[in-house]
Amino acid sequence: MQQPAAPPPAQPPPAPAGNAPPKQVAQALEQLGQAGRLIADVRLGADRLLEALFFVAEKPHHQYSAKCLNLILKEESLMRQYLVNLRAIGRQLEESGVLNDSLRSRSNSWGLHMPLVCPDGAVVAYAWKRQLAGQAGASAVDRTRLALKAFTDQKRQFFPHLADDSVLEPATKKHCCPLPISYEEIGDLKTVSDMLSHLEKEVPNLQACTYQRMEWLKRASSLPSSANENPTESTKDLSFPSTSKWREHPEMHAADKAAVIELLLPSVFRAIVSLHTAGSVDPDAVAFFSPDEGGSHLHARGFSTHHVFRHVSEHASMALQFFISAHPKMALQLLLHWVCSYQTLFVKMCSKCGKLLAMDKQSGLVLPPVKRPYCFTSATSTSKNSPTEKCNLNLIQAFHIGCFSEDT
Amino acid sequence: MPIKWILHWHPNPGTTVNTQILSEVSQCAESINGVKEGRWKTTLSFYKAMAREQSIVNEFPRDFVGISLAEQPGKYFLVIRGQRLVVEAESSIQMIMEKLQSYKTRVALNFEVKLTLVQGNQYQLGDFQLRVGKVVPMNSENLRGIVMEMEYVPISSWEKSREVMADFFELWQEALSKRSLPGHFVHNEPNFADYGLSDQYGMQHTAIQYANITAQIVATSQLQPPRN
Repeated sequence: MQQPAAPPPAQPPPAPAGNAPPKQVAQALEQLGQAGRLIADVRLGADRLLEALFFVAEKPHHQYSAKCLNLILKEESLMRQYLVNLRAIGRQLEESGVLNDSLRSRSNSWGLHMPLVCPDGAVVAYAWKRQLAGQAGASAVDRTRLALKAFTDQKRQFFPHLADDSVLEPATKKHCCPLPISYEEIGDLKTVSDMLSHLEKEVPNLQACTYQRMEWLKRASSLPSSANENPTESTKDLSFPSTSKWREHPEMHAADKAAVIELLLPSVFRAIVSLHTAGSVDPDAVAFFSPDEGGSHLHARGFSTHHVFRHVSEHASMALQFFISAHPKMALQLLLHWVCSYQTLFVKMCSKCGKLLAMDKQSGLVLPPVKRPYCFTSATSTSKNSPTEKCNLNLIQAFHIGCFSEDT
Repeated sequence: MPIKWILHWHPNPGTTVNTQILSEVSQCAESINGVKEGRWKTTLSFYKAMAREQSIVNEFPRDFVGISLAEQPGKYFLVIRGQRLVVEAESSIQMIMEKLQSYKTRVALNFEVKLTLVQGNQYQLGDFQLRVGKVVPMNSENLRGIVMEMEYVPISSWEKSREVMADFFELWQEALSKRSLPGHFVHNEPNFADYGLSDQYGMQHTAIQYANITAQIVATSQLQPPRN
């Protein structure tokens, strides 16, 4: 990336948009450097905390344990401060357009070539030329940006229940709504086959199947992935033998060793749920894809090529974490039900703004409402009638990313 | 296949289409975070039967169009709108058709072919793809019209995509209306069932949409004097 010689470090900018491009670059550089230093501080602080905790745990009545406890308290407040500062810098960088894609998409990207970070982490210096610059081309800006990106991606992946701003705030009141099906109904569904047959009765057009892991991988790779495939031919090929495997041969052990559940709502979505040990009822990952997508990236921890499904998958991971922690014995039933609420993905308006499509500020993309609340209270629905059950699923509200907040 | 709506520019009565409008539309696409990706081109061939006797000419359909689409240059689509026929063929059929013309039959019939290009830039907006193109006769720079392709990649069912596409079209119209252009985009929905096509979107659906707007393109290009 071409950069002019960095001017002397600037004061925190009051209005970054008003500054000349070279100054913006310098400020962004400095902020990224600060962010890098803060991340290092956080790491060191975490090490010290762990050390102190180990020490106290091993020798609880040691003469130094009081000192250690003080150290822990002091370190904790320091860490909080670092994280607050890091968040502030992150916001500044976002506002100036460095961290999100909107700067890259604007045709006047400061008059400089914006480096492109490929999905595998490689940094390409000239996006429009698509050249591989190699490590020599990766500047400090690129490396810090990669580090920050990896940091937030991993946090999102391994701690999905930690919303971006909830670490330091007290637990906010969650957006809760009554359970869409009654506890008595769910209690009866013990096996995966029971759950899936119940679901297929409730949700029209749903096709639910189970697979063992290798089976699923083969099927995923054989699904047509090109948009140019003749659509009528490909739908014929999808009458896969394993579709009815779990229904026609209940005595077969294949269903008991199911490790992957596929929920296909034709023309809307294909959701993949993976079970922790094959044959159990404990879900451990979920992902959404377009029904026309195919390929080996189609698995419960994979990412769709479409933005809308990527966002839904992210939200689904948080929902899954919630179900596992709040209702561990019914996590799978709740998850499957909640997944089916996405049957209205492309038709249901947002319950907050009343529109179907909206421009998401953070990503700069036009998306339908991809969020659905998953925090259910224990109020049971009173009626067991099938039509009412169907209505309940459709009563689950939908929200755009920007319209969804935890404490509505 | 991703759903696509083909839109054509309908100038206000008394106004004509010009390159200024084209550049405003392109800028509008960029203003809603569209990322310019490259060029695209669709070729439309208008076939007109020619013979000495008018009576023979009248027997032949007047709305016979051949379409070559940007994403599949190896295929050629033939549409006769009046009879709701659409055929997908290899692009080599154009050679066969040329050779047929010189085949001696009892009635000497030639087809006059007018080639028109629709070409322009394409923009990526997340899961949407917008293509803005100008309609120009082959070997000419005279702007005859503006055509847009609006594509949503995640869905391939025409019925299921209706609300999303309509909403996006509204969003697009809103963004454009801020520029006070003398005209607006129009989407006419053909009845695909009449052509024997299913709800699953495919290239034949696109070909039919193009065939539908050709009548408008021909009409407006004949009415206006050529303008740059």
